[in-house]
Amino acid sequence: MVLNRRDAAVIHFDNVTKVYSSQTRPALQHVNVAIEKGEFLFLVGPSGSGKSTFLRLILKEERPSQGHVHVAGKDLSRLSNWKVPHLRRRIGCVFQDFRLLPNKNVFENVAFALEVIGKPRRFIGKVVPEVIDLVGLEGKAHRMPDELSGGEQQRVAIARAFVNRPMILLADEPTGNIDPATSIGIMKVLDRINRTGTTVVMATHDAAIVDAFRKRVVELEDGRVVRDQSRGVYGQAY
Amino acid sequence: MRAQFVFQEIWIGLRRNLTMTISLVITVAIAMALFGTGLLIKSQVDDSKSFWYDRIEVSVYLCAKTSTTQACNKQDVTDQQRTAIESQLKNLPQVADLQYENKKQAFDRFKERFSGSPGFVESTREGDIPDSYRIKLKDPSKYEEVAKVARGLAGVDQVINEREILKRFFKIMDGLQWAALLVALIQVVAAVLLVGNTVRLSAFNRRRETGIMRLVGASNTYIQMPFILEGAIAGLIGGLFASVLLVFSKLMLIDRLAGNVEMVSQLGWGTVIAVIIVSICFGVLLCAVASFLTLRRYLRI
Repeated sequence: MVLNRRDAAVIHFDNVTKVYSSQTRPALQHVNVAIEKGEFLFLVGPSGSGKSTFLRLILKEERPSQGHVHVAGKDLSRLSNWKVPHLRRRIGCVFQDFRLLPNKNVFENVAFALEVIGKPRRFIGKVVPEVIDLVGLEGKAHRMPDELSGGEQQRVAIARAFVNRPMILLADEPTGNIDPATSIGIMKVLDRINRTGTTVVMATHDAAIVDAFRKRVVELEDGRVVRDQSRGVYGQAY
Repeated sequence: MRAQFVFQEIWIGLRRNLTMTISLVITVAIAMALFGTGLLIKSQVDDSKSFWYDRIEVSVYLCAKTSTTQACNKQDVTDQQRTAIESQLKNLPQVADLQYENKKQAFDRFKERFSGSPGFVESTREGDIPDSYRIKLKDPSKYEEVAKVARGLAGVDQVINEREILKRFFKIMDGLQWAALLVALIQVVAAVLLVGNTVRLSAFNRRRETGIMRLVGASNTYIQMPFILEGAIAGLIGGLFASVLLVFSKLMLIDRLAGNVEMVSQLGWGTVIAVIIVSICFGVLLCAVASFLTLRRYLRI
């Protein structure tokens, strides 16, 4: 049964420990988490509990000190460096600070993600408007980022992360810079993306959102998994 | 890979640190121009050397009343001495060819050789150059043996090896060539450091873009290509300026020099073009490689 679960997992942390060379305290300790395809997972815990490290390990931006991270059935420690870009093409990323290019408009920002992986222009012209509509920015394709509200900017970032139809979407505190009312809209977009079959992993501090959504919750504390609960809430509900 | 996108990125990169790019272009232009000039001088010297060394002769000047050397004692050479000299020299094993040249022939030859500097010719009169035997040697390095015999003969004023005179001239040209190449080398070092700085600035300016490119899975080549091409294009523009400078140096320096001191073998445009092509390729390659090496330090992949 456990084996089956591992096989189906799109992300699998197998006893992962990460110690940064500059620190003595491990950022993650003996973490075992399997995330299945199409799951929506909240990663909660205080600052410094290892949430960002967790996400960076999935992208192979960091290597585990011990243990193995598997993504889409592949052991990342066995993935050669030149294949890492191909791994990242299957993972979309959204951050608290949006990370948009200020000199490009909405369309260009989203199209950038496809241009730099060499997609043909006709494909870009077809796909980008669809995604802009999907995140709810109809008619705003030619706005510049500084003409948009925080929530709208985050929608652009989500569109860029999703435009290549990734298997996994990683969101690192996507609502961290956004007021609660707008956050609900962002969550709806993420939910819509999740419903297309994309696995979503969202690190967050936002208790209200976690409580409202009732999805799987993994709580980290000092680099350890202290709770892994399906349909969980933010606080200590047990 | 989409060319239009890449070129757009390069254009943005070059424009953003325009002053750096300009200084890079200038440095590369000077470096490559000096490098090319060094090559031009070298091929000119090589050409002239083979031309002259084929024609090198040892001149054995015969005594004349105007001669100041003691051996002559202010006497013209006698016919008897002359025949003795001729037969002696002819029988030397090192001598390939022996020709007698009287005062008139010598003066005509002098006029012809220095036709480029009329002032020099005008100040010389027929008779200033004495009669001589002009010897072609089988092996130019055996000069001393012949000279020793010739100096011992009665009626011989001076023995002059033309090779020695030319050697001095070629030494100057060699010096020029090495000076040009040395300054070029210093400029190349400056160019490499400038490329490094330009690329570092460029990478810093575009860290947001490259960060996103990394994140969405752009390949390393795709991320690095605009920076490397940026360097290469600056190198190319520098190389083009250098080729203009090289054409100038061909027209102003070498052609003029050839007009003054008749070099006979003129450096052809073919050589100049070859040198230009080598210089441009070297400039482009230099900048591209320098960019690539800098990127490895400043652009985390």
